[in-house]
Amino acid sequence: MQATEHLSQTFELGFTYTRSTGPVVGRFLTGLRDRRIIGNRGSDGRVLVPPVEYDPVTAAALDEFVEVGEEGTLVSWCWVNEPRAAHPLAKPFAWAMVQLDGADVAMIHCLEAPGEDALATGARVKVSWAAETIGFITDIRCFTLLEEA
Amino acid sequence: MAELAAVVGIGQTRYKTRRGDVSMAGLLREAVDRALVDAGVEFADIDAVIIGKAPDMFEGVVMPESYLADALGAVGKPMMRVHTAGSVGGSTALVAASHVQSGTFKRVLAVTYEKQSESNAMWALSTPQPFAVHLNAGAGGYFAPIIREYIRRSGAPYNVGIKVAVKDRLHGARNPLAHLQLPDITEQEVEDSMMLWDPLRFLEACPSSDGACAMVISAADSVTGTKPPAWIRGGAMRSEPTMFAGREEVSPRAGRDCAADVYAQAGITHPRKDLDCAEIYVPFSWYEPMWLENLGFAGEGEGWKLTMEGATSLDAGGDIPWNCSGGVLCSNPIGASGMIRFAEAARQVRGDAGNHQVEGARLAMGHAYGGGAQFFAMWVVGADKP
Repeated sequence: MQATEHLSQTFELGFTYTRSTGPVVGRFLTGLRDRRIIGNRGSDGRVLVPPVEYDPVTAAALDEFVEVGEEGTLVSWCWVNEPRAAHPLAKPFAWAMVQLDGADVAMIHCLEAPGEDALATGARVKVSWAAETIGFITDIRCFTLLEEA
Repeated sequence: MAELAAVVGIGQTRYKTRRGDVSMAGLLREAVDRALVDAGVEFADIDAVIIGKAPDMFEGVVMPESYLADALGAVGKPMMRVHTAGSVGGSTALVAASHVQSGTFKRVLAVTYEKQSESNAMWALSTPQPFAVHLNAGAGGYFAPIIREYIRRSGAPYNVGIKVAVKDRLHGARNPLAHLQLPDITEQEVEDSMMLWDPLRFLEACPSSDGACAMVISAADSVTGTKPPAWIRGGAMRSEPTMFAGREEVSPRAGRDCAADVYAQAGITHPRKDLDCAEIYVPFSWYEPMWLENLGFAGEGEGWKLTMEGATSLDAGGDIPWNCSGGVLCSNPIGASGMIRFAEAARQVRGDAGNHQVEGARLAMGHAYGGGAQFFAMWVVGADKP
């Protein structure tokens, strides 16, 4: 019996878009360019980093900005043993939840460490800035351990 | 329709070429905050949120309902996204209305938006697909041949579209929210503008706008605010495929059926006589005479005569003004454009339309169409509680 040929064709679809950050996310990104980390205060008093435009509880517009520290505490992490090309770091690293000093929530970013054994909840970390800061989240090149645990 | 529903709050942004100062969430919130103030309510008083926008590829935002839940005060509440191409603004209002009419919700927030300045609507409209004809024409290129067929059948003079283009821009000059402000526009200027898709000239086409429109729709026993409510007297949607052999594209059946349904609900037998004004989706000038016929305001082949007589012009004292706000020809944030028609109809019967108010308007129609003129959404709102 003759095999049936199924007609198919791949195709690619792509468009270009623009995004405006608005006053809150824009302030955070502008802060990064100046090597400062800006959060904002929610209706329940918590300092949120990165800042959010609208309160997660009341939906009110949030406009009280708070600068937080470059150092913080490691809350949790996931170790990446074999980084792939798209990953931000070439050597094994951690995706980490870091609560910066002065913030009440953790933010996710990459964390450089000699190995997973060097990590522990509560470990102190600090920002490692990119050589050139341009207002992107990648201005924070990564976090690094303040001292090995 | 079990429960009676009414529009009690309306909020719109100013429509502009570009709103680079706000995020999409921020743009929506301008309209939402104004609608809540207009209704005299807060987020806590809202039971459900309905959001509509144009197809995802236009802006590259997939699942806006997820990204915008906190900005729309939808956390902990039912939220639903509506999706019917260009008619989505009208459909979103109708879905919100039916949430209330069903008796399940007392007060629903409906919101629609588009940031055309950050989008790619022109090319995302006509995506090439394998094994299919590629109509790389944009909306104007798609509708122009249908308009030419209307002209052939009706014998309408060449300048009907020019007349509409001027009329709606003069209306828009009365509306401070309208994107295009062309108070001195002339027929000569429209005629001299570049021919884009014969017979549509540049000034016979809608602009690309950023903007948002929101409404609060309440049950009869939950009406709030200081302004009179706009009672929803009838609402309907109809759909048909884009293309099939023998499809009546000049006056689509879905449009005729949708209008007949809405008129029957609202007790309208002669739309031109019974309605005081209408906000009809006219993104290209010639769609005014075409929809005048499709919606039964004029007999077949007669729509252009109403336009030429000034019947649809507020400035000419016409008996059935169409698009007093300036219509889509003045402002076109695509996802919101249909809802703006519905909201502007409601503003008229609330007596709250400012300098484009039709004096004494008691009954008005809002209309939206989308896709290849295949999705239709319409409502009739009235000052009188039925």
